[in-house]
Amino acid sequence: MTLQECYAAMGGNYDDALGRLRSERLVQKFVLKFLADGSYDLLCRSLEEKNYEEAFRAAHTIKGVCQNLSIDKLQASSSRLCESLRNGYSPEADALAEEVRTDYGQTVAAIEAFQKESAG
Amino acid sequence: MSMEQKQKILIVDDSELNRAILADMLDDEYEIIEAENGLQGVGLLQQRGAEISLVLLDIVMPQMDGFGVLDVMSQNQWIEDIPVIMISAETGSSHIERAYELGVTDFISRPFDALIVHRRVVNTIMLYAKQKRLANMVADQIYENEQRSSLLIDILSHIVEFRNGESGLHVLNVRTLTELMLNHLVQKTDRYQLSGSDISMICTASALHDIGKISIDEKILNKPGRFTDEEFAIMKTHSMAGAEMLENLPIHQDDPLVKVAYNICRWHHERWDGRGYPDGLHGDDIPISAQIVALADVYDALTSKRCYKDSFSHDKAVEMILAGQCGAFNPLLLDCLRELAPDLPTLMSDSNSVAQRDRREMQKVAQEMRRHEELTASERTLQLLEHERMKYSFFADMSKEIQFEFTVSPPMITLSNWGAEHLGLEEIIMDPYHHPEAQSIMEDADFQHLADALRSTSPELPVVTYDCKLNYKGAWRWTQIVARATWSSDEPPRYTGAIGKAIDIHDSRMKLNALERMASHDALTGLLNHAYAKKRILERIETRPTASYALVIFDLDHFKSANDTYGHSFGDQVLVHLAEKLRQCIRGGDIAARAGGDEFLIFLEYKDDIEVVISRIFQSLCGQFEQFPISISMGVALTATVPDGYDALFHAADAALYTVKRGGRGQYRFYNETMRETLSVISPIEDGEDPQEDA
Repeated sequence: MTLQECYAAMGGNYDDALGRLRSERLVQKFVLKFLADGSYDLLCRSLEEKNYEEAFRAAHTIKGVCQNLSIDKLQASSSRLCESLRNGYSPEADALAEEVRTDYGQTVAAIEAFQKESAG
Repeated sequence: MSMEQKQKILIVDDSELNRAILADMLDDEYEIIEAENGLQGVGLLQQRGAEISLVLLDIVMPQMDGFGVLDVMSQNQWIEDIPVIMISAETGSSHIERAYELGVTDFISRPFDALIVHRRVVNTIMLYAKQKRLANMVADQIYENEQRSSLLIDILSHIVEFRNGESGLHVLNVRTLTELMLNHLVQKTDRYQLSGSDISMICTASALHDIGKISIDEKILNKPGRFTDEEFAIMKTHSMAGAEMLENLPIHQDDPLVKVAYNICRWHHERWDGRGYPDGLHGDDIPISAQIVALADVYDALTSKRCYKDSFSHDKAVEMILAGQCGAFNPLLLDCLRELAPDLPTLMSDSNSVAQRDRREMQKVAQEMRRHEELTASERTLQLLEHERMKYSFFADMSKEIQFEFTVSPPMITLSNWGAEHLGLEEIIMDPYHHPEAQSIMEDADFQHLADALRSTSPELPVVTYDCKLNYKGAWRWTQIVARATWSSDEPPRYTGAIGKAIDIHDSRMKLNALERMASHDALTGLLNHAYAKKRILERIETRPTASYALVIFDLDHFKSANDTYGHSFGDQVLVHLAEKLRQCIRGGDIAARAGGDEFLIFLEYKDDIEVVISRIFQSLCGQFEQFPISISMGVALTATVPDGYDALFHAADAALYTVKRGGRGQYRFYNETMRETLSVISPIEDGEDPQEDA
């Protein structure tokens, strides 16, 4: 699996990321680093504890990271979740959080698949 | 900036990944420092300060967000020296607007382009560096110019003075009084529209008021007696002559200083009523600069000794001027003089020392510079500061002391390197009120007491000394904290934090405790000694004067024969044994002491039947120690029957004991009236009241 294919699998825009970060090496380095980012865990934990202020910040961070790496699909859903939590809890947040979970799963699966192949 | 030393960029962003991306773009050319939230960012700014060339700042962060960081930066004026580029996924125009309002240099929204970020960072740093260099150049030049021109003026005016045979202080006095009058005048009225730099210019120019005297014949100038009309007419030309000299300067005619000096030279002998010279100007047609210098000139002439007159006292001079005996002046200026008069001699002598004048001059330049936004601290000041910091940290390390600095906003403690290591803490502790490790160093109550004590100091008395235990990596040790609260120079002053150090006094404190124990306890038995027991008993009676107490004195029967038969060390063993038994048979609150020799003392509080208590104690003390049968004689006195204080109580118990001794030993007796006349077994330790006198 190439990095392009990985981007396709997670609903991202490889060309855009390459255009901004300027080198394939950097894009790859940071995409792999995405797996270690703790924001998603923090988001899930905060939602569970109903700490919506923290959850807002976590969603905001995910959105920012996805913007930098052009992971568009997850960026869009985390952005919507973030807005729904900007002024505390709102009823649509639950469904939006579900979307983020799905997209995050898809993103991580794609990156892990790419990691396995590029390592092997 | 040297080539090998990279400039530093501080990245403040809560996402490690985002920081890594930015760092990757910049770390070839710059040294990257990272902070994962606003509070940490502020901490690093506080610590590294002017070292940091640029801040890349996220908005949404835990602990303190980007706007919070900007607030702190502008409160501390860091924002004027350190450019900030904000990077955020927040693209609402209100956010961007607010960021610019708070002083950010640039705003980059996510997703960002590596090339753009890089370019903007480089440009901003270059721009600031250039601005800083320019500012320094301007500042240095201003300083140099000021220095040069005031030096020239000083030389020139001294030449004039020298020729005039004046005291040498005349120019200085006129200048000082002019400045005092001007500063007072602008507080009273805004009629003359005088700015700070106008005032400073008038003061400088005042030194030139008599330069025209250069053109006057020395014989007339220094004539001891009265002038003839002809001489006076010549003398009067000096004002116009001085003005013409300035007017005919080949260059600098348009310099504001020269213009002010011209006014002063020409018109410092005009009078408010229009009867002065050379032009007979009237009222405020005379420039205010000349009006004030005229008054200052007259005051100094009156109070100085001249070849043709003696000096008048300050009070007399003021009185003469106010009475109109020395010319006619602007009533407003006379008001100023009247109001300044009481403090004038002190003010004049305070500010006349040349060193002081120079310092005020420097302060003024510094203030002027600070008013200009683009004129920030010059490179030289920064170097000095850097040097001071290096010196401080070196001595802090050498001194092996825990030194600390506390700031209220942001709440933060900075520890000296050695101190942090010694306590097992970080050097920077953000938000110490909610920092679990910092909290474990000190008991909450102590922390609170110390914080309260510092907060309730004043700028005049800011030092607090506080003893408490500190936790040195698990070992609690007595420590003395000496701290100085810091107060802002605002009116009213604000409490901004504290600096101080913590000194380990554990060993000396422990030694003191041991000494105290030695002084209060009997070395052989470990019981209290008599003097200390008395102190404790008095305290007890004082706290609860209405309770019922019993004082018991007892001694060993035939103790002398035990010593004689078995030796002194056996005697000592008997005493230790008895003391141990005594300890076992009394309650925690009771006081037991060795009163001396083989005599012991017990002080106890009772409620019900004291007889039962005494009997029980008596029984348990009797018995056998090895081959020696322990028999005791005991006298008891009660506060219920002997209410006249400790000494009387002691006498009574002593008398009861004596009665027992005389009546065959081996029992106890309570004191009663029949024993009043008995002798004493133990001589009293102090001369108390003699009970016989009460009869």
